[in-house]
Amino acid sequence: MANNFAMLLDGFQTAFTPTNLMFGLLGTFLGTLVGVLPGIGPALAIGLLLPITMTVNPTSALIMFAAIYYGAMYGGSTTSILLNTPGESGSVITALEGNKMAKAGRAGAALATAAIGSFVAGTIATLLLAFGAPAMAELALTIQPAGYLALIILAFATVGTLLGSSRIRGLVALSVGLVIGLIGADLQSGALRLTFGNLNAIDGIETVTVIVAIFALGEALYLASRHTLVPAQVLEIRGKAWMTKADFQRSWKPWLRGTAIGFPLGVVPAGGSEVPTFLSYGVEKALSKNKSEFGKGAIEGVAGPEAANNANAAGVLVPMLALGLPTSATAAVVLVAFQSFNIQPGPMLFQTNPEIVWGLIASLFIGNFLLLVLNLPLIRFWVLLLKIPSHYLYAGITTFALLGAYALNNSTFDLQVALAIGLLGFLFRRFGVPITPLIIGVILGPLAELYFKRALQISQGDWNILIAGGFPKVIYGLLFLVIIGPLVWNFKKKFAVKK
Amino acid sequence: MDIPQDNSIISPQTFPYMVAAFASLVGLALIINILRGNYGVPDGDAPGDPFTPLNLRTMVIVSTAIALHVILLEIAGYIVAAIACFWGVAYGFGSRKPLKDLGISTVFALIVYFAFTQGLNINLPSGFFEGILSNGK
Repeated sequence: MANNFAMLLDGFQTAFTPTNLMFGLLGTFLGTLVGVLPGIGPALAIGLLLPITMTVNPTSALIMFAAIYYGAMYGGSTTSILLNTPGESGSVITALEGNKMAKAGRAGAALATAAIGSFVAGTIATLLLAFGAPAMAELALTIQPAGYLALIILAFATVGTLLGSSRIRGLVALSVGLVIGLIGADLQSGALRLTFGNLNAIDGIETVTVIVAIFALGEALYLASRHTLVPAQVLEIRGKAWMTKADFQRSWKPWLRGTAIGFPLGVVPAGGSEVPTFLSYGVEKALSKNKSEFGKGAIEGVAGPEAANNANAAGVLVPMLALGLPTSATAAVVLVAFQSFNIQPGPMLFQTNPEIVWGLIASLFIGNFLLLVLNLPLIRFWVLLLKIPSHYLYAGITTFALLGAYALNNSTFDLQVALAIGLLGFLFRRFGVPITPLIIGVILGPLAELYFKRALQISQGDWNILIAGGFPKVIYGLLFLVIIGPLVWNFKKKFAVKK
Repeated sequence: MDIPQDNSIISPQTFPYMVAAFASLVGLALIINILRGNYGVPDGDAPGDPFTPLNLRTMVIVSTAIALHVILLEIAGYIVAAIACFWGVAYGFGSRKPLKDLGISTVFALIVYFAFTQGLNINLPSGFFEGILSNGK
């Protein structure tokens, strides 16, 4: 514990060097920018900026990426409140009450409770991350390959079934991701799989190409397909972006409750920020003394979910850093960023790269503070961005995304893949198939195979090793609950209705 | 598939077969789901919402713009490809000011090109402008 604290102080020293501070500041700025702009989120932004890993040092680059991750959470709320179009998926719930508040002329209070709540939640959650991740890493050192495989399968199940409206479609997305992850030469034997004689495919499909194509191109095609030419209306902010004492009194409990909901649901793989923000909204609605205000602009309905969203972002970083298991699309890209520096997040990370990982955690505190300071005074500047005509916005995003896909390997094959996956992404969006399971499948599929093979190599081919020992059994037990739980629930509901 | 000789315990085919089994199972479940009338709704639409008809025209324009970028990139260079793509997507999204768009596309393409090639030292095909823009590199 005391040791962690000393390491964190060292981290602050790393983060406070002028270069790193500058990259952190740039990251918070870019993060807020992509959070504010509809159609471009943190996963896509980091994916597009990955080429900088060729020229920028690992610590600075990762500090910037983490700042983008946090910044996007702040920016997303602005768009939700003023435009009623969520800037990113964790802000969907914020739009419910936030936009109503803005319509009633209370945009300033909604923005303030979102920003301050994000700061409070982000700071508490980053503190929990700083002490939780090393603890988890220590525990994880004892996990065998079979245990890792069990964890990955559990992550597949939760991410696949908890996202979106249809569990089957989540699993379909996951299986498509797994198949894409298989493409290329097998790591151990060198056998070519699913390359169909194409030499370019031997190295496999880049995760970043998939992310960029599906988020940018898929989204652009989808929006184009239902384009109606009606410009969205940006609501004005009257007065200052600040809140009254009464607003504050109504907000602080939701902030803390949102943090308590968001952080743990980030640590266990619950598939991103949708579930915790939704839960937080439900809790606030149930506990509020002003129930009648819900649906008409209740400040609790903004404060809670926004805090949950930010705490969740920090929570997701715990398994990402300590186990090397990303459970959201953004965490997946951050993992790719680590890998492009030949650093493998996981139990050993805190020992092999303490400077990077503690510098990263320290910079999250700094970034969080900068975001609070930057966001409220600059709010009018961010609002201006919302007035960029959508045709230029999507033209820019599409062109930039294609550049990101190309610049990774300077290969037109990657661009062809991007176009194909963009069309796939369009179909996914059109038919309500969630995207995150696909990305998790692409990135964790090969890892699952690796642990699977390692486990069987240890046991000389005896498959019993996969369920040997206590840890895998516990995880498979949880898996069973994740699969069976909702089925029982549905059955009960149906039964009750029939009665 | 050619399987190289190796003495590892697990064949490179084992895991793909497991994925294939899983994918087939899920695919079957999806078919049953669809046959039972659950067609899938876009995120953000409620199950009962009226179906927004596809605007195929804009979709075709946008995908053509992307395809054009892919084709032009190595033939005509990054700048031309980026201008074509930016302009095409903007047109697809309903902009009807071709000359203004051309100006904005050009400025965008030039800024991106120089930021990446000069600022970040990332090579992009220069195409027609080889020698003029590459600063003798």
